[in-house]
Formats: sequence, structure tokens, C-alpha cells
Amino acid sequence: MRIAIQIENLSVIFNEKEVLKNINLSIEEGHFIGIVGPNGGGKSTLIRAILGIIRPSSGAIKIFGQDPALLPGKKETVFGYLPQHLNIDPAFPSSALDIVLMGRYKKTGLFKWPGTKDREIAEKYLAMMGVGNLKDAQFSRLSGGQQQRVSIARALAGEPRILILDEPGTGLDAVGQEDFYHLLKSLLKKMNLTILMVSHDIGTVTTYVDEISCLNINLYYHGNPLGALDDKVLTSLYGKNMDILMHSGVCEKCERLRSQ
Amino acid sequence: MIEIISSPFMQKAFLAGILISILTGIISVFIVLRKMSFIGAGISHAAFGGIAIGFFSGLNPLFTAIIYTIFVALGIESTSRKGKMTEDVSIGIFYSVSMALGITIISLSKSYNIDLFGYLFGNILAITNGEVLLTLITALTVTAFMVTFLKEFFLITYNEELAMVSGINVRFFNILFLIALSVSIVISIRIVGIIMVSALLVIPGATARLYAKSLISMIAISCLTGFTSVVAGLFLSYEYDIASGACIVLTAAAIFFVSLILKNRE
Repeated sequence: MRIAIQIENLSVIFNEKEVLKNINLSIEEGHFIGIVGPNGGGKSTLIRAILGIIRPSSGAIKIFGQDPALLPGKKETVFGYLPQHLNIDPAFPSSALDIVLMGRYKKTGLFKWPGTKDREIAEKYLAMMGVGNLKDAQFSRLSGGQQQRVSIARALAGEPRILILDEPGTGLDAVGQEDFYHLLKSLLKKMNLTILMVSHDIGTVTTYVDEISCLNINLYYHGNPLGALDDKVLTSLYGKNMDILMHSGVCEKCERLRSQ
Repeated sequence: MIEIISSPFMQKAFLAGILISILTGIISVFIVLRKMSFIGAGISHAAFGGIAIGFFSGLNPLFTAIIYTIFVALGIESTSRKGKMTEDVSIGIFYSVSMALGITIISLSKSYNIDLFGYLFGNILAITNGEVLLTLITALTVTAFMVTFLKEFFLITYNEELAMVSGINVRFFNILFLIALSVSIVISIRIVGIIMVSALLVIPGATARLYAKSLISMIAISCLTGFTSVVAGLFLSYEYDIASGACIVLTAAAIFFVSLILKNRE
């Protein structure tokens, strides 16, 4: 199996404050990785460093053996990226399809607009995300969940090798989230994707991912998802007053009430 | 009507006015969507310093103002980035310093006969053939540049980080946009004036934002608003002998408010 992302001794310092400290991480191609940790723990900084948006203060990152800062200049689409916040104008003049077509811009290159083939691909991913019927709707008028689905279709439309999602569950209800994580699992194989997903929801993430990284400035744990539920790891991430409640498929309280 | 169109100075005013209405119509879309209206006001006021340098040096004030405002725009970008401050702070600094510099130079040069009023509020009578040519060349160049990289500017406007990941050099394009903005402002000064030129960078885009469903339709509505404001404003200016800048801005504002009322009635 090829190594998709290799991180060695990565540190990032912002305004004289260490945001990431001595991170070592190796992610194999085709794996689904969850990155969890508290707010301010450096999750978004780590993915921005992987994307080449920010430069490490020390250490090195390699994406399929290459420096991420050099990837934007290459024709190949390595990353599909879903940022946490968009902050766009509430009247942003764009249909859902226009937004998904933005994911094709790197492939079309300078001086050219996406063509018929790009539209077909964009429509395919809109349909895959269950929002094909909204292709002509104004993007900024869609609900948070619909915008999120369109944005994920945009991230996939470039047919990337690595999909990076920053809090993709935002705006999706519980059922929608479950469907969405199942969809990601199926894409993993279908598109030979490597997926990195940042989430604050440690409980849900452990159910779906292959490996989990627990980050709070330092990387406290990387490995089997169940290992992240260890008391020591949880205390390192969130402090002492943290516990995870695991519940079975049967709601005991509901059963009790029903029998009364 | 025929008298207005046949007069040579009005022909020059219309030609320059139509060119700048198309150029500012495109720029205005991005100014509004990127919430950059203060930088338009800042650079236009800063142009006063560049115009004063022109008076002092004997060079064409529009030419010196183009060079000066490009430096101001780059200064604003660099100061914001290096000083880790929001752009509105550095705009506030550069714009007041440039105004102060302009007033100091004009006071020192003792040139009281210069047409300051024309530069501040617009004076179509003062447009020279050379300035029409300067407007023609710069407007066509900047419009061609914006149209060529429309897709890139659209993605940067949507989300800068996504643009970076898509291989767009965002800082480079942001600097080019600031240069395009500076040039557009200066070539509009003769017609609209320093005080009011920022209105042409905001009102057409704001009007288009009310109705547009796509980038192309937003640019089309914005250019049409700018074009109508400039043409109607120039007619009113000629007819009632009022400063052209004021007529153009009031016409644009009327179009905006009527559009807003109609939109809210929908």
C-alpha cells in the first residue's frame, strides 16, 4: 500500500504560540482517517498544512512523496477540500451546479471555462449527494445541509486522490450524517480515495473511520478507532471531566417505558 | 439632444464615460461580493495625493495618479499582511496620509489656478484628447484582463482557500485586482470626481446583486446600471450645468433605490 500522507516532526507556530507540536503521522492510501480533538487543538491547522495553505515552522509533509506547496501548480487534482466555513455573500450569484463546477476549475486550467463533459461530471456528483434536483437552485438560498451536500459534490467533482473534510457533519441531521458517512465509505473503494475528516464528534467518528488521530497540539493517539476511547487519551484531549457513553442498538429507557 | 451629441467635448465625455461604466461595472461586482467598498473609497481619496504630484511636477495628473494609487494599493496590501491587521486599518492610514500629502504639495506649489474643483467633483469640459486616449487604452486593457481571469476571480471571491488548493496564486491575483481597481478609479476621476468615484464601484454591483442569479448576469446588470447612470448623468449635467459626478451618482442611486423597492415588492 502506498503512503498518501507522510508527516515528520511537524510544528506550526502562530504569533509565537505553538499550535502544532512535533507531529509524526503516516497515512496509507485508501484509508479513512478521523481527526478529533478539542477546539483550538490544531485540527484545522493540521489540514491546512497538509493542503499547503500554510507552511510548517519546522518538520516536513509529503503528499505521495511531494511537497504540498508545489501541488497547486500541477495539473493533477490531488485534494478535494471542504472548508468548515464559507462566509459567502447571502446573495452570491451562483447556482448549485456553478458551485460544483468550481471543483473542475483545476482540471480545465487557465483561460478556459468548464465544458459539457465537466457539467456531466458535476451533475453526477450532485445526484450522488442526493441534491441533483437542486442543480439550478441558487446556492446561497439553500439550507445549511443542502449547501453542505453541494459543497461535498464540489470537493468530489475534481476527482481527487485525497478528500479533506473539515467538520462535514455541520448542517446535516443525525440520519443525514449516518447516510453521509456510509456514502463516504462506499466512495473510498469506488474512487480509491484517501479521506481525512476533522470532527468534534468523537463518538460518531469512531464508528466509521479506519484509523483515528487524537490531536490537542500534540498527537496523543493514532490508530484503531476504539483505542481513542481510552481514558488516558480522552483526558489528554478534553481534560478530566470527559467520558464517552456507548449505547447499544436498543434504547433501554424506551424499552422500560414501553413495558410499564 | 442632437446639440449635445454633436458637441466635441460631450463626444469625448460620452466615450470616456461609457468605457469607464463597463470597466467599473465589472470591478463593482467583485467589490460588492468581497465586501471591499471601503478600499474603493480609500484609493479614490488617496488619488488626490497622486494628482497633486502631477500638478507639482508638471506631468499629467491622471498619469501620476495612476502610478501613485498603484503604490498606495500595494502599500495597503503589504501593510495589512506584514502588520497582521485588517485591511480597513491600513486603508484608513494610507487614505488620510495621501490626502494630507496632496494638500501639502498644493499649498507648497502655490498653484491656486488649478482646477481642483474639477478633480474633486468631475468636470467633463476639462477632458483632453490625450486623457480620452489614456482612458481608452487602460479601460480596454483592464477589462480584457478581468474578463480573461473571470473564473479565477470568481473562485477567489467564493473562497480564497479553495482557490489556493485549486492552484490559483491568490496573493498574486489579489494584487492584480488592486492594480486594476486603482487604474479604474483614476480614469474615472475626470468624469465623476475623487469624492464620488467610489459610488461607481459600489452602486452598480449593489443593484445587480439584488437580481442576479449568475456571475455573468450580475456583471451584465452592473454594467448596464453604470452605463445608464453615466449617459443619463452626462445629459443632466449638460442640460442643467451641474457637476457631472453629482449627476451620475444621483442617477445611479435613483436606479438602486427603485430596484430595491421593486425587489422588496416581489
